[in-house]
This record gives sequence, C-alpha cells and structure tokens, in this order.
Amino acid sequence: MRNRFSTGETLKHVVLILGAIVVLLPFYVMVTYSFKSPNEIMTNSGGLFGAQELFLDDYCVARGNLAADCMVTPWIYNYTTAFSKAPLLRYLANGVFVTASIFLIQVIVALPCAYALAKLRFWGRDAVFGLVMFCLLIPVHAIALPLYIMLAKLGLTNSYTALVIPWTISVFGIFLMRQFFMTVPDDLIDAARMDGMSEYSIIWKVMLPTAIPALMAFAIFSVVAHWNDYFWPRIVITGNRDLFTPPLGLREFKGDADGDNFGPMMATAVVIVTPLIVAFMLAQRRFIEGITLSGMK
Amino acid sequence: MTGNRYAYLWFIGPALVLMFVILLLPILIAAGMSFTNYSLGNSSADFVGLENYEKIFTRSTYAKMFGATFRYVFVVVPMTVGLGLGAALLINSLTRFGDVYKTIYFLPVMAALIAMAIVWEFAFHPTIGIINATLEYGCGTFLESWSWYAKGCARTFPLWLTDRDYAIWTVSFIGIWQGFGFNMVLYLAGLTGIPRDLYHAAEMDGARSGWDSFRLVTWPMLGPTTVFVVTISLIRSFQVFDTVEAFYPQGGGPSKSVYVMMFAIYEKAIQQNLMGIGAAITMVFLGFVLILTLIQRWLVERRTHYA
Repeated sequence: MRNRFSTGETLKHVVLILGAIVVLLPFYVMVTYSFKSPNEIMTNSGGLFGAQELFLDDYCVARGNLAADCMVTPWIYNYTTAFSKAPLLRYLANGVFVTASIFLIQVIVALPCAYALAKLRFWGRDAVFGLVMFCLLIPVHAIALPLYIMLAKLGLTNSYTALVIPWTISVFGIFLMRQFFMTVPDDLIDAARMDGMSEYSIIWKVMLPTAIPALMAFAIFSVVAHWNDYFWPRIVITGNRDLFTPPLGLREFKGDADGDNFGPMMATAVVIVTPLIVAFMLAQRRFIEGITLSGMK
Repeated sequence: MTGNRYAYLWFIGPALVLMFVILLLPILIAAGMSFTNYSLGNSSADFVGLENYEKIFTRSTYAKMFGATFRYVFVVVPMTVGLGLGAALLINSLTRFGDVYKTIYFLPVMAALIAMAIVWEFAFHPTIGIINATLEYGCGTFLESWSWYAKGCARTFPLWLTDRDYAIWTVSFIGIWQGFGFNMVLYLAGLTGIPRDLYHAAEMDGARSGWDSFRLVTWPMLGPTTVFVVTISLIRSFQVFDTVEAFYPQGGGPSKSVYVMMFAIYEKAIQQNLMGIGAAITMVFLGFVLILTLIQRWLVERRTHYA
C-alpha cells in the first residue's frame, strides 16, 4: 500500500513538472536571450547565460568609432541598449504614474459610494446598488471605441487624462468595498458620530483603516490590470512617445527589431515583467487573493 | 446632524456621474453610431439603417471574424477550465511541494501578455525558435513513427504563427498557457471549501475509487466555482487582443484566420476610421457578453434555489 501511494505521488509530480516546463519555457527564453549575443541567438548556442564573449557593436562602428573600442559584453550591451535606444525609464515612470493615479482616483470615488451603499439609508439606495450590479456586466475594453470617440471629440487623446479617465470608476471596487463595509459593526460608526465626527471623516478616519486588507487586495488587482494593459493605451496614444506606457514601449521596439535587437528587446521585456513577478514572489498570498477577488462577484 | 442628511449625495454623486458618463453613455453612443456611417473628422454622418449589421452577418470577412473568435473561445475555455481543474486537483492531493507548482502556474497570469507574446513569437520562430529546434532533436528516434513528426523531419516543422492551418491554434495555445493558472487558483479556493465529512460519507455509501468520490462529491460541490470559472474564462477569451495585435499588426493573420472581434473593432474603427461598422461590432460583442453573464446568473440562482 505504501509503495503504491508513492508511485502515485511520483506520477503526479512527473505530470506537474512537465506542465511547469511548458509554463516556464517563455520565461526561460526571455531571460537567456536577454543575456546572449546576436550570434548566439541566431545559432541557438551559448547555454543558459551565453558565453559572454565580446562582440562588435555595429552601430558603434557606424558612428565612426574604432572597431577596437566597440567590443561589448553581450548582457551589458543588451540591457544598456534597452535603456538607451528607447526612453525606457520614461516609459516605466509613465507606467507607475498612470497605475498609481488610476488606483488613487478609484479609491477616492469608490470608497464614499461604498460607504453610503452599505451604511447610510437614503431614498434610491437599492436603485443605485442595482445600477452598480448592472455596470459590473460591462467590460470597459468592449466599449473602448465610443470612449475613444468621446475623448477625441474633447481633444483629449494623446494625454495622461486619456490613459486614466476610463478607469476612474471601478464598479467592481464599489461592490467589493460595499460588501466589506457591510461586515463593519454599526456601533463603531455610531460611536464615531457621538464623538461629533462628520460623515466625511468617518469614511477616511474610521472606515478606511478597517478596510486595509480589502483595499490591499483591490490595489493588487488594479495595479496588475493596468500595468499590463496594452489595448487601451494602444488606442488612445498614437505616436507621442513621451506618453508611452511600458507595454507600448516594448511593442514599438518590436516594430523596428532587426537581428541585433533581439537581445535588447528581450532585456526590455525582462525589465517590464520583473517588477510584478518580484512583488508576486514576495507577497504571494496577497497577490492570489487580489487577482482572484473577481471570484467574489 | 441635519447637515449630514444629504451627505450621501456627495458620496454617491461622483460615482453615479462617472458610471453614466464612462460606462452607460458609451453604450448609447455605440448603439446610435452603429446605424450610421460616421467617421472622425466628418462633420456629419448619414443614417444607414441596419446596413452595418447586415454587413457583419453577410460578408465573408466577418464570417472569418466570427470563425476565428469562436474557434479561439471554444478551444481556450474548455482547455483553461480543464487544465485549471486538473492542476488544482493534482496540487491539492500532493503531500509536499504543492505551493511550488501553484506559484509557477500562476506566473503567466502576472506577466504582461504583450511581453510574453513577443517572447512566444521567438520561441515559435521557424528557424531560430527553440520549439522547432527542440523538435528536430527528436528526429531519427521512435517519434518518427508518428507521421506528422516524420513529415516535419523530412521537410520542415510547421511555421506555426504564419501557417494558415496552425496560426489560430498557436494563438489559442498561448491563451491557454496564460489563463489556466488563474482558473487553477479559483478551483483551489473552491476545493478548500468542501467539508472532509462528505468524502467519508461517500465512502460509507460505497464510493470506492478516487473517480467515484470525484463524481459524487468534488464535482457537484465545485459547481458554483465551475459556473463562475467558465463565465469569466468566456468573457476574457472573447476579449483576446494583445497576442493577435503583436503577431499580426495588419490584417489578422494568414488569410484572416486569427481575425478576432476585438482586433476587428480596432482595425475597422481606429486604423480605418470606419466608426459605424466598428460600433456595430461593439454592439454584437456586448450582446454576447450580456447573454453569457445572464446565463451565468440564471445558473447561479437556480442552484441557490435548490440549496
């Protein structure tokens, strides 16, 4: 019996390891290629991290430098080119700015609304909540076209505003926080009112601190979605590279990639993908909670 | 205290306004526009009735669009749900290292799809890609008894992304790769919610094999999870765009075989400035999503009535 159990267990591991190999394959390709020289990429040689033999940087020679001064180490070449050929730092800063703005505004709009829906009695409350439930059905990407036209009519395409505006309202955030606030005891709020706190400060000084765990999960959900979003920036940002988010920057890189650029392009991909992966590794449980939040719908 | 009576207006006001302007108004605009031949820059547009919808349901381009979308959806959804469930069951039954697999399988969910699409394009590259290079190692072994493999060795292995017969399946494969970890996590959460007692009870009632207890306990108890997982997978896969745009910035793949709906909206409306037809595709798309979600809600409600 004991023996049969362990063969079963081994078999499961074999299946899961095969799955893991397929899942990890592109990550492996991405990381190794970001270390290799163009020649190694073309011939599929060099093992895991490439031989790191110096190679001649053709662009450097083309700029009129001596060939001897233009020998570069592959991985250094790949990563420095990633940052120098395109303003990757600027793209990353844009990504951080846009993602943070979206999350902040979402909270500022959603939290008071969720509080009112959960804890205040007023005429039409059920209707408002019904509307929230209906809006949960609408995927924002699906209505991107009319949103784009509205922004174009207002002359707002190619701006940070355009990148942020459609995401300022998160009905999912309202729904989630409302469900959370329902579990907060009324006594807590009554006590705060007794102390003479205004409804406004109750939200930010009493409700917000109790909602930190739910808010963290929502933050992860929101940040992952918007850091990785490609569709919406692709539509509203046309040409103005100063406004590119990381996914757009990478896509542009691909557009003019020739053989020598494969390495730098993979380096760019590594730079864009790494922040979230590292954060995920550090706070795995929270991340899985956050991403699967939508499971509560 | 009286000042507080209308505080709620300040609290729900901004959210209500934004809901109307950002979520509801665009649907009305799209609905109205779908009956016109509007394009940006033109001061006026003509009412064309149902012409746009007629095109969508009669022209061969749009037949290809529906073909590609449904092929993608009907491969990706069952596969991501099945693999998600399979992985969750396997991991859940392990005594050790389950968390390692969970972490690995969840990685693609976190990684920017556009970046990973570009990497997959490399991996599938016919000459320098790792996939065909690996397949070549298998030549001359027993694998050649498989006629598909022998053909690959004798001539070349498929071009994957640029071959009309393979493109949509290769793109679907990437969709499956990206999505099943998400479903796995939802199923793992569902599995922890099943009371142990039920398995004992099933054993008492004569459930012998693992298959019996899966059929009698696990699967029925995972019902609500499955309804949710299937719906969210459907809605997500209908919205596929990043991979298609990365591989085929123009035209939607070899003979339009990967011309999915979101890409069609993008191409018609944004690239070609044909807003009317883009709006009509948007409306059809929203129709699909609405029907799917209503079916889900109906299933969920039916289930809760039973319980």
